[in-house]
Amino acid sequence: MEWANDGKTRGGVLAHLERLEIQVNRSRKNLEDLQRAQAVESALGTKIHKLRCLRDELRAEAKQRQARVKASTVNVEPDQTPEISEQEVAKRRKENVKAILQAYRFTGLSGKLTSRGVCVCISTAFEGNLLDSYFIDLVIQKPLRIHHHSIPVFIPLEELSAKYLQTNIQHFLFCLCEYLNAYAGRKYQADRLQSDFAAFLAGPLRRNSLCNLLSFTYKVEPRGQSFPFCARLLYKDLTTALPTDVTVTYQGTDALSSSWEEQRASHENLFFSKPLHQVFTSFARKGEKLDMSLVS
Amino acid sequence: MDETLAEFIKRTILKIPMTEMMTVLKAWDFLSEKQLQTVNFRQRKESLVHDLVLLCEEKRASVHDAALLDIIYTQFHRHQKVWDVFQMSKEPGEDIDLFDMEQFKSSFVKILRRALRNVTVSFRDAEENSVWIRIAWGTQYRKPNQYKPVYVVYYSQTPYVFTSSCQLKSNIPLLGQALTVASNHHKIVKMDLRSRYLDSLKAIVFKQYNRNFETHNTTVPLQERTLELDIHMDSRIIHENRIEKERVQRVTQETFGDYPQPRLEFAQYKLETKFKSDFNGDILAERKEPLRCLIKFSSPHLLEALKALAPAGIADAPLSPLLTCIPNKGMNYFKIRDK
Repeated sequence: MEWANDGKTRGGVLAHLERLEIQVNRSRKNLEDLQRAQAVESALGTKIHKLRCLRDELRAEAKQRQARVKASTVNVEPDQTPEISEQEVAKRRKENVKAILQAYRFTGLSGKLTSRGVCVCISTAFEGNLLDSYFIDLVIQKPLRIHHHSIPVFIPLEELSAKYLQTNIQHFLFCLCEYLNAYAGRKYQADRLQSDFAAFLAGPLRRNSLCNLLSFTYKVEPRGQSFPFCARLLYKDLTTALPTDVTVTYQGTDALSSSWEEQRASHENLFFSKPLHQVFTSFARKGEKLDMSLVS
Repeated sequence: MDETLAEFIKRTILKIPMTEMMTVLKAWDFLSEKQLQTVNFRQRKESLVHDLVLLCEEKRASVHDAALLDIIYTQFHRHQKVWDVFQMSKEPGEDIDLFDMEQFKSSFVKILRRALRNVTVSFRDAEENSVWIRIAWGTQYRKPNQYKPVYVVYYSQTPYVFTSSCQLKSNIPLLGQALTVASNHHKIVKMDLRSRYLDSLKAIVFKQYNRNFETHNTTVPLQERTLELDIHMDSRIIHENRIEKERVQRVTQETFGDYPQPRLEFAQYKLETKFKSDFNGDILAERKEPLRCLIKFSSPHLLEALKALAPAGIADAPLSPLLTCIPNKGMNYFKIRDK
């Protein structure tokens, strides 16, 4: 190894070392600065996150308060008097209750207290159609009696009241409901047949007050060449709206061909199982299908 | 067409007022539109009737066609007859009434014809499943008298029958029997109810005269009805006895209701009671036999008149139950005896 004892060499190694030392210090300082900056950065980052959370919370609360205020302003009167009089509140409640009482009609059996007792209202319906309402005004005394009513004279009201009025008024009312609803249903079917399906009838519809005997001549196709059948429907059970006896006959002397005989028997079954106007609706639909097939 | 029939048709058409002529002829539906157009309806009535009768002859009108015209005329002028009411009853526990109008009619005619060969029976269906029956009675040897027929109005599956008063009383039992058997009933009884107003009789026996029912849907509460005397009309008018007047009003309203009363022309009370007197030593008070006496109340509209009695101050309220029970009991003929 050559020791160079001139200034240059001395300046060389030591200076080099010095330079290296300075470099290390410098880099160490840089590293520390960097670390410090990073620390500050992360601290700031956490702060930002915290502030954001706080901001969201405050936003949510502000919204809630707004909504509360809005809701409370709706309840306040439009003329914006801060006090709602008790009278107004009571009036509104009364109207509400009155509306509910009026709507009770739709349950079929409703009533209103009168000065001497109660006025019961039986609202009849059939297949979702609201039909006539009938009333019985009862006097609450011993014995319970009927003051006046609007039940038709051919409904056995006297019989029912003799049996049940004094002992079991609930049964009395339910029986009466049954009779009236069944009557209303039978009447509805007969009326529908007369008005909507007059084209299928080859003569007048014979009926009676209770609509428990219907007799008519009909054709399956209104304009077609189908045979006229005579139908006789008996409703021996006054609490139902479907017949108990059905006879479909053919007016004529020749024996029916087997296909017409099939039809006759199927019609009898139809009248037993479906309401009258629905049977004729199905006839009409079959007729339409036939028409379509002829066209195509 | 024989002379008697032509005469009968002529007299029937003559009865019809000119204002109703077209309506009745159209309801009769015997002469066609074409035929009616050939007639001059502006001429004098006698000539019009003459023309119409000629048309009927052309079309060969029968007794039944003429009877139908008579029914229609009577339906338009039902107040010209006095109507009685009969009530039928069934045996308890009988089967459901499957009323067939055609069966009823044929059964009714059969029963009458079995007893009386000479009788004209005609039917005309009317509203609410009812039928008007016209019966002209004859005898074994004489043809039916078309000028004195009896009319019967029957609503199917009800126990009540309305008949126009029949002068030939001997035929009433036969008529009753025919009605009872044909309508599947067992017994028939005449009610003590009579009036010219068929619709009112129907309202009374079918209990349809009070149609006011309290429901939650009515807007006017019945208790808040104000006194008819309008107190606020003029402040210079003071009503005496206001409290008493209000009481009378209330009692009247409770008894008679707010509905229009059915129309009757009279109420008759046959009394067979002993004379009651406050004075002692009165001659009549010593009589042991009951006093026979007939009291008849008449009015163009009896029940409205009775309703107006107490408010008008003519009678005390409440009125005697003998007067107020009339629609409820379905009677306007009473027999009162000592108990």
